[in-house]
Amino acid sequence: MPDKTVIVRIKRRQRPDEPARWEEFELRYRPHMNVITCLRDIAERPVTRDGRESSPASYEANCLEEVCGACAMLINGEPRQACSALVDNLEQPICLEPLSKFPLVRDLVVDRSKMFEDLKRTHCWIPIDGTYDLGEGPRMSPATQETGYPLARCMSCGNCLEICPKVNEHTQFVGAAIISQVRLFNMHPTGKLHSAERLEALMGPGGIQDCDNSQNCVKVCPKGIPLTESIAAMNGQVIRHALKTWFTGHD
Amino acid sequence: MASAVGVTRTSFFLDKLQSLSGIVPIGAYLAEHFFENSYALVSPDKYNYIASKLETVPWRIPLEFLLIWLPILFHGCYGLYIWWNGKANAIGHPWMTNWLYVLQRWTGIIVFAFIGYHVWTVRFLSHGKTTYADIAHAMANPWIVAIYAIGILAASFHLGNGLWNFSCKWGFAVTPESQRAAGWFGACVAIVFAVIGLAIIAGFRFHWTPFDTYL
Ligand code: HEM
Ligand code: SF4
Ligand code: FES
Repeated sequence: MPDKTVIVRIKRRQRPDEPARWEEFELRYRPHMNVITCLRDIAERPVTRDGRESSPASYEANCLEEVCGACAMLINGEPRQACSALVDNLEQPICLEPLSKFPLVRDLVVDRSKMFEDLKRTHCWIPIDGTYDLGEGPRMSPATQETGYPLARCMSCGNCLEICPKVNEHTQFVGAAIISQVRLFNMHPTGKLHSAERLEALMGPGGIQDCDNSQNCVKVCPKGIPLTESIAAMNGQVIRHALKTWFTGHD
Repeated sequence: MASAVGVTRTSFFLDKLQSLSGIVPIGAYLAEHFFENSYALVSPDKYNYIASKLETVPWRIPLEFLLIWLPILFHGCYGLYIWWNGKANAIGHPWMTNWLYVLQRWTGIIVFAFIGYHVWTVRFLSHGKTTYADIAHAMANPWIVAIYAIGILAASFHLGNGLWNFSCKWGFAVTPESQRAAGWFGACVAIVFAVIGLAIIAGFRFHWTPFDTYL
């Protein structure tokens, strides 16, 4: 082994139902390494520290620049993106585990379709298709654009769900990311037309009421999205909507 | 209850009711309770006079039931259910707000236990006719002083932190600045309640009546 090495411990499972085992790898250090480079080096030569022949550890990654969200995992216990986790800034051994709040697929790969399903359930899109050309939408004020842009950076990585005490098998809580997306779509001049549907979905099982304000989400979001602000803003919208429709009905 | 898109809103309604009940009537009652008991700091006679007046409030039993017992039972029991629905992780992720989440729960159960003890001794064992002398006698025991001090500190924290939670959960404090201000407001409320509550204990224990004279 060269003088300077990187030690990586990975929690591995071939299948979700088999017991986890830890494997330790020792890699040659190079400047500017990140966790994805480590995983690639392991895939190139999957031999554990004690000389056993193993297999490449499965993981997901696409953009390698913290915009796609795919590479979220627990790195030394913190949910974060592997591609932006620089080895120089990490304590060794670097412990890699899959996110724990999503169904495991294999090794570091989890199934985050819950987030996509919840985005659909809360109507997080703007319907613009019709049987005829609807023409240009209304204009968006620069102030709304400025509030909305940071929210639009969400990449569905799932870190905010992983860190939330209320996202677990006891609840169906949609989590901070989805609530923040509802805020984004309700802010849009065309999206507003469907705000009632989104707010009513947020009042359903696993809706915004499950948030108990631990405010962990905002501390782990790699995109710096003001999640606690979004949640409070949506709490206001949902409560006003609930009171208004209960007392005076829909418009 | 079913909404336009066919989802049930039962848990939304119960969660919001639990949250609101912490402020009104429970928090409001706590303020009233601390105020009435501050008459112990005026004089034993005044305290007994106020207590006997409260004992003969018209519609006492239904009022107590609707404004005190039922809300506390609901808030506490549903609070335990909310607690059970969460998986705290403050040990691995020790951010302040994460610890506040944990403390809100532990102070809640401490207050629940304390209220049980308090109500049992001063309400049921005495048939609701506790006098200044009864409490002063109990407070001669340092263990009882400790139990009351813990109950008061836990309730003060729980209400102060609850005010912060409430302002976020009802959308009153949205921006980080206003949430921070709501947090400081809650902290001030907690400190004021703790000081008043501990002063009342001191009043009973040391027969201390600082408000005895007209200034
Ligand atoms: C003097 C009695 C009590 C007072 C004044 C009080 C007050 C409050 C307040 C103001 C809140 C904040 C509501 C919100 O989150 O929006 C709250 C939350 C809570 N209370 Fe109490 N409470 C009392 C007793 C209890 C008891 C006996 C329990 C039993 C375990 C309890 C458990 C909880 C829990 C778990 C929450 C957190 C709910 C959440 O974060 O969403 N409380 N309480
Ligand atoms: S809000 Fe942030 S932490 Fe949550 S999924 Fe989106 S990018 Fe990830
Ligand atoms: S690979 Fe896209 S965020 Fe890491």
